[in-house]
Amino acid sequence: MAFLEWLQSSAVGVMVAETLWGYPLFETIHTIGMAMLIGSLGLINLRVLGYKSELPMLETRRLLPLAWIGFTLNAISGTLLFTSDAVVFFNSYTFRIKMVLIVLGGINAALLGQRVFRDAPAGSPPVIPGAGTKWIAATSLVFWFGAICAGRLIAYLP
Amino acid sequence: MDVLIWLEGTGIANAIRTIPWLYPAFETGHYIGLSLLVGGILLIDLRVLGFARTLSLRSMIGLLPFVWVGFIINVVTGSLLFIYGATGFGTNKAFLLKMTFMVLAGLNALAFDLAVRRSGADWVTADLPPQHVKIFATASLALWLCVVTTGRWMAYI
Repeated sequence: MAFLEWLQSSAVGVMVAETLWGYPLFETIHTIGMAMLIGSLGLINLRVLGYKSELPMLETRRLLPLAWIGFTLNAISGTLLFTSDAVVFFNSYTFRIKMVLIVLGGINAALLGQRVFRDAPAGSPPVIPGAGTKWIAATSLVFWFGAICAGRLIAYLP
Repeated sequence: MDVLIWLEGTGIANAIRTIPWLYPAFETGHYIGLSLLVGGILLIDLRVLGFARTLSLRSMIGLLPFVWVGFIINVVTGSLLFIYGATGFGTNKAFLLKMTFMVLAGLNALAFDLAVRRSGADWVTADLPPQHVKIFATASLALWLCVVTTGRWMAYI
């Protein structure tokens, strides 16, 4: 708790909380990063589930840079927003649920990467995802959209 | 401004004021719609501009239904949120800017659509988007980022 109190009274925490532009600016970046992350990971997960099957599965990894940029933007902007009111955020159950959902989404993304994007020699047959892989993709969508809902509801729920 | 006052006194506005979870629910819906709308537009525009070339241009333009679903979700949830706070939102500078950017983004999308129809979309098959289509894609990225930014700023201005 001492750390959280130090964090929100630090120069960064005060800057985000008290300047006119701090909070809205990082919220805006957080929203744009969200669209990048959900757009790219969403399409990869849907492709694994069979949507747009004409897209070569392995090639959907070209979307990963967009996912990483979105994730990085959101890790940074999210951390800065957190510093503005660290004690309240840390004690919020809704915030904690959001963090759990992001960790689960991250684990699923790593698992999917192993199963779908593992380096295949040129000319090898296209990857056909099994039931387990599809299950990972479906739960990923639930985790990421769940994280959006929890994030929006931090302001309203305990 | 009588319209705004009237809107704020309608049954819908009163319902949103009295049922505690309704406003957060519409806001959450607005964020899910935003993810579909802006996420889809990002993928399409970036693909037109040359990102992820190994994914066919035709398939990526085929993501437009997601954009439409997101757009409809956000028109509905956005209108409901607006009715609740019509006098505040209707005179909010950031909101008026947001609506301006939305209209511009809409006109830009129409121009894009027209360009696809006029050319018979040969360039879609050939994966060679003409220069003016790339300009529409760049403008679309910029305009939608402005919509998100001004929308987010409404609470602070």
